[in-house]
Amino acid sequence: MSTPRERLLETATRLFAQPHEEGSPDLLWQTLEDADLTLVSVPEKHGGAGGTLGDAATVLRLAGRYAVPAPLAETGLLAGWALAASGLPVPDGPLAVAPVHPGERIQLDRGEGGWLLSGSVRRVPWASTASRLVVVGHAAEETLVMLVDPASCQISTGENLASEPRNDLVFDGVRVDYGEVAPARVDEEALLLRGALARSVSMAGALESVLELSLRHAKERHQFGRPISRFQAIQQQLALLAGEVAAANASIEAAVEATELADAVADAAFEIAAAKVRVGEAAGVATRIAHQVHGAIGFTERHSLRHFTLRLWSWRDEFGAESEWASRLGSITARRGAEALWPTITSPLPSLAPGSPRLIRWS
Amino acid sequence: MYFGVESAEPLKGVSFPPARLPEEAEDLRAEVRAFLSEEFADGAFEPQCDGWFNGYSPEFSRNLGKRGWLGMTWPKRYGGHERSSLERFVVLEELLAAGAPVASHWIADRQSGPSILRFGTEEQKTRFLPAIARGECFFSIGMSEPESGSDLASVQTSAERVDGGWLVNGTKIWTGGAHLSHFFIVLCRTSPQSEEDRHAGLSQFIVDLSTSGITVEPIRLVTDEHVFNKVRLENVFVPDDLLLGEVGAGWEQVTSELAHERSGAERFLSTFPLFVELVRALGERPDERARVAVGTLVSRLWTLRRMSLSVAAALETGAAPEVEAALVKELGNRFEREVADAARLVVPSEPSFEAPDPFRVRLAEAISHAPAFTLRGGTSEILRGIVARGLGVR
Repeated sequence: MSTPRERLLETATRLFAQPHEEGSPDLLWQTLEDADLTLVSVPEKHGGAGGTLGDAATVLRLAGRYAVPAPLAETGLLAGWALAASGLPVPDGPLAVAPVHPGERIQLDRGEGGWLLSGSVRRVPWASTASRLVVVGHAAEETLVMLVDPASCQISTGENLASEPRNDLVFDGVRVDYGEVAPARVDEEALLLRGALARSVSMAGALESVLELSLRHAKERHQFGRPISRFQAIQQQLALLAGEVAAANASIEAAVEATELADAVADAAFEIAAAKVRVGEAAGVATRIAHQVHGAIGFTERHSLRHFTLRLWSWRDEFGAESEWASRLGSITARRGAEALWPTITSPLPSLAPGSPRLIRWS
Repeated sequence: MYFGVESAEPLKGVSFPPARLPEEAEDLRAEVRAFLSEEFADGAFEPQCDGWFNGYSPEFSRNLGKRGWLGMTWPKRYGGHERSSLERFVVLEELLAAGAPVASHWIADRQSGPSILRFGTEEQKTRFLPAIARGECFFSIGMSEPESGSDLASVQTSAERVDGGWLVNGTKIWTGGAHLSHFFIVLCRTSPQSEEDRHAGLSQFIVDLSTSGITVEPIRLVTDEHVFNKVRLENVFVPDDLLLGEVGAGWEQVTSELAHERSGAERFLSTFPLFVELVRALGERPDERARVAVGTLVSRLWTLRRMSLSVAAALETGAAPEVEAALVKELGNRFEREVADAARLVVPSEPSFEAPDPFRVRLAEAISHAPAFTLRGGTSEILRGIVARGLGVR
């Protein structure tokens, strides 16, 4: 008898493992949507599959492992979550969310019959292929969340190293009916944290494939009359690569668990920041070793290694690079002081120690 | 197959499912912290780096014994406390994080006791375990020899059968604390090494360090500290009842406990007391460079602890996560050094054992002990070899 998590994993594996036709993203999305994989952790009453964050992370990690070219993180973990949290229904189709960079703000002004949006945001993941944009904006006294038709704003072309759309958006008097917005129960900080968690999870999946491909190549590639895996120089590098994959796995598992147990994503900020730093570090070391082990072929478009390394090189800098999150961890560590260092490392999750002053706020 | 990915199964050796500590372990943590603050306030110890390696304090060990924090997982009939290994995990990490002087009993509690419990006779268990758990009987390790380091199977110390026991001859080296311990478990060759099976013909003996024929000669560290010794055994008589386990099963006995030995918190917390001083030295508003350096260390440490805890939970279920344990040690030992590397660059200062400020003293301890981190208990190169074998490329 399999658990719901196992059945989900099975469905996702079956779909992800099928080669999709390049240039048919709509077909791929339809397949994912039909299989209930796009809104895994969105409650059923908001149109989702009603799973846990851990379920969604399982799917996302697997999507990273297979380099699935679709906005699963953006649609379910970010946009779908923001809409559902604010009591709005989640529409079908791939979604994008804005803003995603610290300091970016979308201004809302009262217009005739609706809010008028103004502002510009940079490199919004998957905006150009999204059926709807989920926007968090600020009016004079409130923060609101709303669905916006991408056709109503200026969208630049652009993509990351792995050819995933990353588009600058300009909102120049875009109008949204008063009836179509809701008070936001999320803010930009929460989106940033969820985004960092989602990227860490996807990266852990991609890192597993980097290790798998490297191990296979080392066993198959012969030089000097034997597989290169027989050379200690290669073995030692592969062991270092495995260590980075292990550290990435451990940190995302712990960060997902912490987020699941937290009342608000900000309560898991420490764990998410720590995971993003560690997985980002792992991405740097692992891609370097994997390419060294693969030799010239791994550096070409003919080899599938690039699907993973190009994504890792992009994802590690999205939703905050290692230095940004490390700086924030460093600040909180300094503010709490030397005697609190160890308790900060070990502190139990809030749900395990009711009433404990566990919450770490950044500001 | 898609993009060359063959299966979605978790890769062997690199999975670290999250482990949660039971509530009683968190209660215990509070007790240990309270005890440590009292001891510290009473001047019983000063936090030091590498306290499990050279922080000798028989008195402190006896105090831990009184509290029930030695032999924690052993049966009560042998003086143990029948607590879970996760509770033990918590006590150990608290002691290490505090930089407490736990070297006297460390090997007996971590390694010798569990070996005796697993392979010893009823008489040995009754004789040694309660004394270890009280913090009154200390052990050293008798494995390495002048010509046998990483290649442990090549040991030459011999044990020959004589009337009523064995006659042991040979030299053990890098024997930490042999000048302070009561016993050491000596790995001996009881039959010649064969070409077919290099690991056959080894046996373990519990040897009283005060037996005649034993000479303990100090080998001082680069810092002039006395931790290591060379221990010569000349016609040392070991009675039959001190053979540990089976004759010829020494290799299996020695290697069976390695996952416990390699994944513990002492593999990444040896320089934690320096990390504490670093945070103190930086104050409340460190600059950006220091923030990034500290945050990076925090992230690595948090991850390592989660990995170590995950392995501890797996061990509790009876699994033998050899590759995972080797990875914890390899990554952890590098982290211990990275703390020292980062500390000296963000707080420029000269390491010194005689400095008035603890930061510089901890820095001196961490830097001068760093070479040991990646050597003891399996060198990093050997560990990576174990990982490579686990991954199927060796």
